[in-house]
Amino acid sequence: MELETLKTIWKDQDLPPGEETSRDQLMALLQKKSTGPIARMRRNLRKEAILMLVSYIPCILLYWLAFDGLMSGVGWLFVVLLLFFYVYYYRKNQLLKRMLCISCEVRSNLAGQLKTLRRYIRFYFWSSTLIVPLMTSFAFGIALNNRRLEHPSINWWRVISLLLLLIAAFTVGIYFFNRWYINKLYGRHIAKLQQLLSEMDED
Amino acid sequence: MQNQDLQEAFIRLVNDSRGILYKICRMYGATEPDRQDLFQEIVIQLWRSYPSFRGESKFSTWLYRIALNTAISDLRKQRRYITPTDPDLLPTQLQDIQYSTEKEEQLQSLYAAINRLTELEKALTMLYLEDKSYTEMEEILGIPQNNLRVKMNRIKDKLRKMTKEAAYGIGNA
Repeated sequence: MELETLKTIWKDQDLPPGEETSRDQLMALLQKKSTGPIARMRRNLRKEAILMLVSYIPCILLYWLAFDGLMSGVGWLFVVLLLFFYVYYYRKNQLLKRMLCISCEVRSNLAGQLKTLRRYIRFYFWSSTLIVPLMTSFAFGIALNNRRLEHPSINWWRVISLLLLLIAAFTVGIYFFNRWYINKLYGRHIAKLQQLLSEMDED
Repeated sequence: MQNQDLQEAFIRLVNDSRGILYKICRMYGATEPDRQDLFQEIVIQLWRSYPSFRGESKFSTWLYRIALNTAISDLRKQRRYITPTDPDLLPTQLQDIQYSTEKEEQLQSLYAAINRLTELEKALTMLYLEDKSYTEMEEILGIPQNNLRVKMNRIKDKLRKMTKEAAYGIGNA
């Protein structure tokens, strides 16, 4: 077939029966949420943020109001953690919002997406790795506090060594887990974007 | 403009461009449900961007950009689909065509050939078949015209070869 024939065939193609969408169907489509991956990621992030708020607020109130106020410090630690997570969610949401420029030229959209996705992944990786020492210290602090109520004498060298050991073990573990997990989540897409961009740029 | 007027105007535009959207979905969706998902996603993205369309570019340029950006950068997994090596077999296995005509068979061969192209090549092929100028292709894809010409020549060669193979039954067992 000659290419001009292909053009004619292409232009002459009709919508097959059953492919027409009625006005009502289109109207209904406009009310639907995007099922695109970035929209889904943003929705999941919102759900996570709400879940965090719902689970942390009772804990904060419990530590503030119960135990005659003796444990209010723990409540404040939960507030600090909650703030940390909210900064984290805010930043992730900003990066996700910037990830798509759907009405831009295809090349610049893909390049922007790749750049923002890399920043997103870096942020995700480091924040979820560095939160581990903080969380470990936090959990350790609560456990230590409870133990001190029962056994007031404490060998501080042993305690600090144990804390450092736990921090090192968990942080190294989570570092490698995050590398594997993030690559599993985004590796294929990054490779696809890179391949598309290099195909666009090659002569 | 009131929201309802905006919706009506948008639906008219989508209806006018239905053919283009159908072709893009057919090109990039491996199965019928994939095509329906893609059509839905493109319409949603068009609708979201519609209020910010100020006519700085042609409507068709804007539409192609959004549709191709949605189709190309789609992260979702396509439904299980095995690409056969024989281009003639590919679409006919998938379609529930009850209106098969000679024209449709030719179209099937064309889509079979297109299915063997990369995602970027598919976009270029579509713009070429739609008779878009290199200037408009550049505006849609953001690739310099010189580069587009080189790529287009390569794709034309590929298409010629593939459609010839299909016509002479090369590759058919």
